[in-house]
Amino acid sequence: MTISQADGADVPGAPQHRLEVDRLSKTFGPARVLRDIQLTVAPGELHGMVGQNGCGKSTLVKILTGVYTPDPGGSIVVDGRRLRTPVQPMEQREVGVSVVHQNLGLVDDHTVWENVRLGRYQARGPFRKINGRAERDSVAAVLARLGRAIDVNAPAGTLGAEDRATIAIARAMQDHRPGGGLIIFDESTRALGKAARGRFFELVRSLIDGGTSVLLISHQLEEIVEATDRVTVLRDGQVVETGIPTKDTDEAGLTRLMLGRHLVTHSRVNSHAREGIAASVRGLSAGQVRGLDLSVKRGEIVGLTGLMGSGFEEVAEALGGARRAESGELTVGAATLSLSARRASTEHFVRAGVGYVPERRLDEGLAAELTMAENMTLPRVRSMGSPLRTGGAWQAEEARAMIAKLDIKPPRPDAPVSTLSGGNQQKVVLAKWLAGKPNLLVLREPTQAVDVGARHDIIDAIREAAKDGCGVLIASIDAADLAVLCDRVLVFRNGAVTGELSGELNQDDIIHATFGSPREEERWAG
Amino acid sequence: MTDAARQEQRVTPPVAPAGTPRLAVDVRHIASRYAVIGVWAIMVLIYSLAEPGIFFTHSTFTSIFTGQYALVFMTMALLCTIIIGEFVDLSVPAVFGFAATIWPVLVTNHHWGTVPAVLVAIVAAVACGAVNGLLVVVLGVNTIVVTLGMGTLLTGLALWISSLNTVVLQPTGFEKIGTFTVGGLYISFYYGIALVLVFAYVLAYTPLGRHMRFVGASREVSRLSGVRVNRIRFGSYVMAGLISGVGAVITVATLGSYNAESSNSYLLPVFAAVFLGTAIIQPGRFNPIGTWIGVYFLYTGILGLEDLGLQQWVSDVFYGGALVVAVTISTLLRRRTT
Repeated sequence: MTISQADGADVPGAPQHRLEVDRLSKTFGPARVLRDIQLTVAPGELHGMVGQNGCGKSTLVKILTGVYTPDPGGSIVVDGRRLRTPVQPMEQREVGVSVVHQNLGLVDDHTVWENVRLGRYQARGPFRKINGRAERDSVAAVLARLGRAIDVNAPAGTLGAEDRATIAIARAMQDHRPGGGLIIFDESTRALGKAARGRFFELVRSLIDGGTSVLLISHQLEEIVEATDRVTVLRDGQVVETGIPTKDTDEAGLTRLMLGRHLVTHSRVNSHAREGIAASVRGLSAGQVRGLDLSVKRGEIVGLTGLMGSGFEEVAEALGGARRAESGELTVGAATLSLSARRASTEHFVRAGVGYVPERRLDEGLAAELTMAENMTLPRVRSMGSPLRTGGAWQAEEARAMIAKLDIKPPRPDAPVSTLSGGNQQKVVLAKWLAGKPNLLVLREPTQAVDVGARHDIIDAIREAAKDGCGVLIASIDAADLAVLCDRVLVFRNGAVTGELSGELNQDDIIHATFGSPREEERWAG
Repeated sequence: MTDAARQEQRVTPPVAPAGTPRLAVDVRHIASRYAVIGVWAIMVLIYSLAEPGIFFTHSTFTSIFTGQYALVFMTMALLCTIIIGEFVDLSVPAVFGFAATIWPVLVTNHHWGTVPAVLVAIVAAVACGAVNGLLVVVLGVNTIVVTLGMGTLLTGLALWISSLNTVVLQPTGFEKIGTFTVGGLYISFYYGIALVLVFAYVLAYTPLGRHMRFVGASREVSRLSGVRVNRIRFGSYVMAGLISGVGAVITVATLGSYNAESSNSYLLPVFAAVFLGTAIIQPGRFNPIGTWIGVYFLYTGILGLEDLGLQQWVSDVFYGGALVVAVTISTLLRRRTT
């Protein structure tokens, strides 16, 4: 543990790290969201960081930028200098740690130089006037270092994605002494197209070659594998692997590390699929998916998977009634729903017996301040109750049955959802739809960020729904889930189904089908 | 891999120790629900001791409970939209005042019959609510801007049609709907109680109320559960207009006149009472019964101070101070519950 200031920084040739995070933990109330995080980034290194939603990546970034105070005991050392916690913005700037956020943090109707210099304006003279020329010159100099000619007077909103990314990078690195500093890219490549992304990485490469370090946080495993030198994997708030050389791994390997080997491995059970169609989709176009046809038998469990952004997520969202597709219709039971209606209302989906378990449970699935029972019964409160009375008996019965079926803890229907653990919240989202005996259940990442016991209960409940004749669609990157649950799995790539696996599934086959096919050459072409 | 997976033992999930601790109805819980009522009682006690023979009298009692019905209607109108998460409807007192001006102007200045005039007043209030709803919900214009503008516009219109005067109604018998006395109090007081109870019932026991609370908690969660979010939002603005209109009719019937200029003085008390209501009965949540108690709590405080000889400015200080304190309490309570 290099702690003293003198170490490293002043001793030439001493082994030193640009960033050294040691035993960093963060607790929110009863929940420990980060546990003993260990991470080192070398000077001039492009270090990747991956993990599922809720694994603690963004919490770590927020600690590094001073938004959150870490638990006592951990340390953050930059170039041998131990930072005080919570991290002070001025100190953070001094040591040269900066973050480029997901949306780049640009104000569209302000000019390039105003955006870059935001928070750093130098006021001069008796009227404290901003010296526009000096500001513009300094911005132009930074942009020149990045090797890009952008009009510093142009409003940021008029620029293309690439230039915008460049501005955000310019802002991040303007205080760095050449060859120093650390830039954290927090999902900042999301908004970039393929070609722009290629040039973005050229730019990042040139920073790295100059000695700056980069921590790249991304969901896009392919860019992590293509671009980074080493990679750190987080899972459930812990470091699973830190600093493994990227050349020793691949996307499939990283996925395995992100998801982990689940302790409870269900054996596959016989399929519950039977005669009769639970739901059929015709001509679905959403995002990059074009003209997808799909039918799910009663009792059948169909998996949808692929790389992130390959289109399987959009299919689930459209079929769950969460997003409007460009075209397509869904037939469930006797009802035929347009997937592209301008005034499409999720109400029609609910009435037709479609249940949708979204990916982000607290944003889309549950109202945290209301109770477990209220959340569970919401979709049916109008159809089961009379206009004058929600009716207590059926709600109590549903809550009781679902608490028993999914083993929800604590078994108190009147507990506010915010007081439940993540796994139990996920059970409540599932219960909300299972209690209505759906015809079609659409699930996104149903076991994401839940503990082992909860995963067990959730898998059992999904199977039971299928046994009762419900058609189930599971959109997930979790090959282990898909392998134990699904009767068949559709693998998406670039918006099309490129593979279908059925029969005896195992997770390696699914991972292989997802990542294994030949690489396109044009990926980083630019 | 399948084989390996199969060999792994199926582990039963760790079972939490039986009898997980129940959230006991502890003292703090009760305290946070009923603290304001306790303060109310203490306040009454202090005033009674400070002003023997003046404060704790029948006339003080009637003056507290006969005067505030207009405020009760306006707070309920504001609750309609604030419960479903519309930030603040600043136009409530103005819509109320507009309806309260139309009726006497039509009857006294334009010699309309009472019933058509009353209907026009109520319809006008509903239409104002619908326009608010159209702009905010359908067109997505900022709530504060729309309702602030709407409020100022309507107050101006009311001043114009009343030529800046207090318009007096001649007794026709219709005023009995407000001035009829039950147990020494105007029936308007009981209308207020009835409205509060119905509102509380709707929120607690009907599907509509459940949907309203979910929309207030999260529009996206509600939408994905099949709740028609925009219909509920629009309906709430219309309902706010209706409650304001009906409240205005009852108020004018009881008072026998209305001065359009008085509308603006209601704005602060309405907000103070609604936010104070979040500290009563259901802590951290906007609720009708808590708001009703808030209305009378605040007025009791002011009346006592006025009886002590303090001047009219006391009400500004008290309502303004109470609003800041109430919002702070409500923010803290919300932070604790979420």
